[in-house]
Amino acid sequence: MADGFRGRSLPPPIASRNCDDPPIDYKDVTYLSKFLTPQAQILSRKRTGFCAQCQRQLKQAIKRARHLGLLPFVG
Amino acid sequence: MNLYEGMFLLDNHAVRADWGRAKGAVTETLAKHGAEVVSARRWDERKLAYPIGGKKRATYLLTYYQAPFDSVAALRRDLELDERVLRYLILNADSVPEGELEKSQAELEAGFAVPPPPADEEPAGRAHEEPPAEVAPAEDEEPAAAQPVPATAGDEAREED
Repeated sequence: MADGFRGRSLPPPIASRNCDDPPIDYKDVTYLSKFLTPQAQILSRKRTGFCAQCQRQLKQAIKRARHLGLLPFVG
Repeated sequence: MNLYEGMFLLDNHAVRADWGRAKGAVTETLAKHGAEVVSARRWDERKLAYPIGGKKRATYLLTYYQAPFDSVAALRRDLELDERVLRYLILNADSVPEGELEKSQAELEAGFAVPPPPADEEPAGRAHEEPPAEVAPAEDEEPAAAQPVPATAGDEAREED
C-alpha cells in the first residue's frame, strides 16, 4: 500500500553513459546543466544513472565549469 | 615538457580595447615562463553565471601549450597579479583536440575579425520600467495583482471558521 512517500518512484535516470566514452568536458555547458537541479545542485547517481567513475567525472566537470563562471553555484 | 590546456577568463574592457593585446597578455605570460603556445583562440564571450570581479560578462581564451612542469606555480602567481585575467583554469591535456589548431590559425589570419563584446551593464532600472500600455490598467491606480479577488465558496467557508 502506497503511503504517499515510500511508494513514490523516482523518474528514470537522465542519461546512460559508457565508461569508455571520452571524459566529460567542462566546456559542454548544455550537457552539464542537464545534471543540475533548479537550485544548481549536482544530481545524485540515482538520478543521473551514472556509474561511480562517470559520476566523479561529472562532478569534476561541473566544479570546473562553476569555477569559470559557466555554471552557477546556486540557482 | 607537458601539454596543458589553459582556459583564461579575460576582462571585456581589455578585450574591447584591443583583442590582440588582451590575448597577448596571456600568451606573453606563458612564454615568459618557458611555455610554447600550440594554440590560442577566443573560445566564447558570454554572460557569467555569477559576477566575477564585479563583471557580469567576460571573454574566454582557450589555449593549449607545452611547458615545463615546474613553471606552473610561477605562472599561476603571475596570472593572479594580472588584472585583465579574472579567472583561469590550467589542466593537463593528453593531446590537442581535433580542429583546435585550425580554429586558432583562422583567428590569426588577416581577415578574421573578433566580434566586440556587448556592453557589460544592463540598462539601469530595467525591473522598474513601466509595463506596456496594453498590460497597464487604463484608469485604475492600483496594479492588477493588488485588485481584490472575488471570494469563492471555499473562502467564505474559511472566513466563517
